[in-house]
Amino acid sequence: MYYGPGLGGKTTNLQYVYQITSTENKGKLISLATETERTLFFDFLPIDFGQIRGFRTRFHLYTVPGQVFYDSSRKLILKGVDGVVFVADSQEERLDANLESISNLAGNLKEQGFDIAKIPYVLQLNKRDLPNVVPAEDLKQQLLIKGEPVIEAVAMKGVGVVPTLKAVARQVLVELRKSA
Amino acid sequence: MSPTNFNLHETEFQRIQAILGRMQNELRAQLVLLISRSGQPIVISGPAENIDCTSLASLAAANLAATDGLASIVGEREFSVLVHQGRRRSIFISDLLKKFSLVLVFDSTASSGLIRYKCKRTTLLLEDVIRDFQKRIEKAERVMSIPQFSDEEIEELLGEVKSQ
Repeated sequence: MYYGPGLGGKTTNLQYVYQITSTENKGKLISLATETERTLFFDFLPIDFGQIRGFRTRFHLYTVPGQVFYDSSRKLILKGVDGVVFVADSQEERLDANLESISNLAGNLKEQGFDIAKIPYVLQLNKRDLPNVVPAEDLKQQLLIKGEPVIEAVAMKGVGVVPTLKAVARQVLVELRKSA
Repeated sequence: MSPTNFNLHETEFQRIQAILGRMQNELRAQLVLLISRSGQPIVISGPAENIDCTSLASLAAANLAATDGLASIVGEREFSVLVHQGRRRSIFISDLLKKFSLVLVFDSTASSGLIRYKCKRTTLLLEDVIRDFQKRIEKAERVMSIPQFSDEEIEELLGEVKSQ
């Protein structure tokens, strides 16, 4: 699940993953969006990672709508989540929006019976190429929850997108192994 | 039982497939799916010509989730059956014990009244199978038989060289 404030780069992450994945390893990218391409309900992309000990592993990537007033939709999509990528917008003027979104995420996870401190979680600091960004260390200090992997990204150019996905996938697989 | 973590034994899978296959034949449906409420297709019956079952399952689950939200807003407990009628094809989605859903794709020659009736009967049969494997899972020490794959195997899957 890719979570974060509106226009932060969640859908862009999925679009990049879709672009670089071979046809046989991906399904359709479904985007339920408004006419102005703002996510209305969710984006969905199924990806095959290959086999591990004979088990085919498939990840279903979802994004949530980031705009504040879509909270009821975010709650629905969070049900059954296995891991979260928080896509932070590094621009100075979006710092409050990032903080509000993380708080919203923690609250919605709690409502679903999850603990943000325990669920597989990665922090992506996106839009690192823009001129008005908060220094990465400062942003990390503000947004870090529990020592999660932090990955700097420029999702529009694909920078950091795959390492982010691998980081959360790794945690999900480790968690799955623990539950067995 | 977690809505996302469960496994089916082959006998349970075959029971479900037989129920869905019978329904598909009786109704001449193009596709009958059992899906999880998290949007995973579990058992599929039918030729599924040109229908992306993965996307269908995800969207059907989202449809039901959104409908649950709508029901709550208007003071209803649930809207457990959804019908989407098209010119050539229609879709019927029905909730199963709040953990799974039955999804049918049928063409315009099928009678929606007959579909509702047959779905009601099929739902009861499927609920019996689901309750049986829920009991099995509750008794079992572990929910899933996942091998203890190593960190190296995870890294190989993810296509990275493990750092020293």
